[in-house]
Amino acid sequence: MLSVFRTHAPRLLLACLLVLLGCVQLARLELAQLREAFEVDARISHRLLSQRAVQHEAVLATLALLQPTATAASHDATAQRLPAVYPQILGVQRREPGAPWPSATLQAAEDRSRQTRQAVLANPEFGAQRGRFQLVQAAQPASYALLIDMHAAVPWSDWSMPVQTSPVRVTLEHGSQAFVVQEGRLAEGGWRFAFRKTLASDSQPFDVVAQRQVGWAELPWGAMLLWALAVLAAMLAWGAWQRQRSARLRAEALLRVGQVARLNSLGVLAAGMAHELNQPLTAILANTQAAKRLLQEGPDELASAQGAMDQAVAQARRAAEVVARLRRSVEQPNPSERLQSLDLAQAVRTALQLLEPECTRHQVALTLRAPQAVLVLAERVAVEQIVHNLVTNALQALELVPVAQRQLSVAVEAAQGQGVLRVLDSGPGIAPEALPHVFAPFFTTRAGGLGLGLSLCETLANEMGGQLQVHSHAPHGAEFVLQLPLARAPEDTP
Amino acid sequence: MSAPQSPLIHLIDDDEAVRASLALLIGTVGLRVQTWGDPQAFLHGFDREGIGAIVLDVRMPGISGLTVLDTLVAQGVDQPVILLTGHGTVEMCRRAFKSGATEFLEKPVDDELLLEALQNAVRAHVRSRERHQANRQAQTLYAQLSEREREVLGLIVEGLTNKEIGRALGVSPRTVETHRANLFAKLQVDSLAHLIRHYAVLVAPNATP
Repeated sequence: MLSVFRTHAPRLLLACLLVLLGCVQLARLELAQLREAFEVDARISHRLLSQRAVQHEAVLATLALLQPTATAASHDATAQRLPAVYPQILGVQRREPGAPWPSATLQAAEDRSRQTRQAVLANPEFGAQRGRFQLVQAAQPASYALLIDMHAAVPWSDWSMPVQTSPVRVTLEHGSQAFVVQEGRLAEGGWRFAFRKTLASDSQPFDVVAQRQVGWAELPWGAMLLWALAVLAAMLAWGAWQRQRSARLRAEALLRVGQVARLNSLGVLAAGMAHELNQPLTAILANTQAAKRLLQEGPDELASAQGAMDQAVAQARRAAEVVARLRRSVEQPNPSERLQSLDLAQAVRTALQLLEPECTRHQVALTLRAPQAVLVLAERVAVEQIVHNLVTNALQALELVPVAQRQLSVAVEAAQGQGVLRVLDSGPGIAPEALPHVFAPFFTTRAGGLGLGLSLCETLANEMGGQLQVHSHAPHGAEFVLQLPLARAPEDTP
Repeated sequence: MSAPQSPLIHLIDDDEAVRASLALLIGTVGLRVQTWGDPQAFLHGFDREGIGAIVLDVRMPGISGLTVLDTLVAQGVDQPVILLTGHGTVEMCRRAFKSGATEFLEKPVDDELLLEALQNAVRAHVRSRERHQANRQAQTLYAQLSEREREVLGLIVEGLTNKEIGRALGVSPRTVETHRANLFAKLQVDSLAHLIRHYAVLVAPNATP
């Protein structure tokens, strides 16, 4: 368990890091987007409220300038008409020349207004629910005051946020008093955006304060999950690809090792054989040549010459015995024991899979026609070795023709009680004079070739009770046909 | 001069039949053969002073012919060595000649090839021994000369006349004549040509200090 963790630790760490970095980036993007939207909303709110404030000043200035009526009755009419047009104006007050304001604060406001020649704020009442204030304008002959309700002043039709559901809290603040324009939702934790700007009106210097609390729940969890899944999937795919690749490399190496081992043992055998045969041959040659010389010297040496010839005969027998012993040792004791029932088509597919990169490298179009399972009695490794050698040979032959002509077709079928494998290439084919020798050991037409591959294939095929044949379609292609006996009783289990 | 010795061929091969047949073949040209089945026994027992040659099989159990060759060379054995091998590679051949083999022949070996190689080797060995012996004798005689006689010999070898030698050594030509007669007698030579041929080599290194 621990070792599994150790071998996979770097990959796991990498995956975690990727997931983490991706999620952080996703969260940052989302937060930036939310902040952008919040600031746009806040600026819109500030502009809308500022417009209203300016409107109030304009209404008041108009009243003061026009002094619509001199009579109290017509003033009442005006006082009733204005709130109908501007719902935020709850009331209009008018101080006749010489008359006092009903409250001292209004009087003080008028005094200040007279100095600054501007509308002046009086009696602001800002609370959670209420947002009222008065605006006083000193004028001649009468001065005016408006009572304004901020709640009604907000231009809801132009408001950019859904007032009931928006998470943004908007307040108007004056000193320590605050009127809530929009409730919003300010949860605990997460990130807080804030905006504060004073209304663009000297008479109504209220601060528009907007706040937005982004909670953990608002992070893009769905996207993060998708990202994590994507990373996981990529990691798994990578792992699978690597495993597959290493498995293929291992299989290739095994096949190569098998071939090398066979060739090595062949080499050792050849060296041993050379020595074993050379000794008696040396003796035979030396004895016969000595006998020839002795006979030339005259009848005195006749006995010696005869002895030498006897020796030569004995040594020739010894050489024959070496050959017989060699043949006995090379013979397989019982090859049929290693045979098993196997699907030729499957074995061919396995071997071809290993050669796929080779085919790609040689730019050879390989077609495999194996419509159904063909159960033969054979040795799996030997069959794979034969396929490997035949296809490798074909690829080498195809190197000699232009890329466009490189065709290699492999077919598996059952015919006349035999499992048949055909490997047909579109190479230059085999010259007629070379054809009888292609299976002979150490025969090769390739520079640097050992000339053992096809010889080995034929030996393996024969050992399994099958045979390997070659047909040349020179100058266009060669075909190798491997026949193996079908398994007698097909097994039920695959 | 020692009595002429009949050359002896040492034949080392682990295979009895090969030994016997090759010995018979070599015997047909009148060469004596001593066969050895075991390379170690050969290394311990063979006569290093004798005239002849060594025929050595490369592939033997226990010790390789090439190793035997290296041992012989290291011990200063001067008999020529002919190697026989069943399957010689270029690399093995190169190594054999580098180690000092005279010949490298493949089994089965043709009689002409082997016998000619052996006769050449024996001739070369005899010559080398003679040269060696002559050198040794010359050295012994040269050692008997007096200091003045060696000076005179060096100047004779350089080609000076008696008169010139007398002038060079500050003595009269008559005295030079006496020295000359003495050293001819001591070195057992009877002509100037003989003297130069055998002793010029010994003088040369001493003549120029």
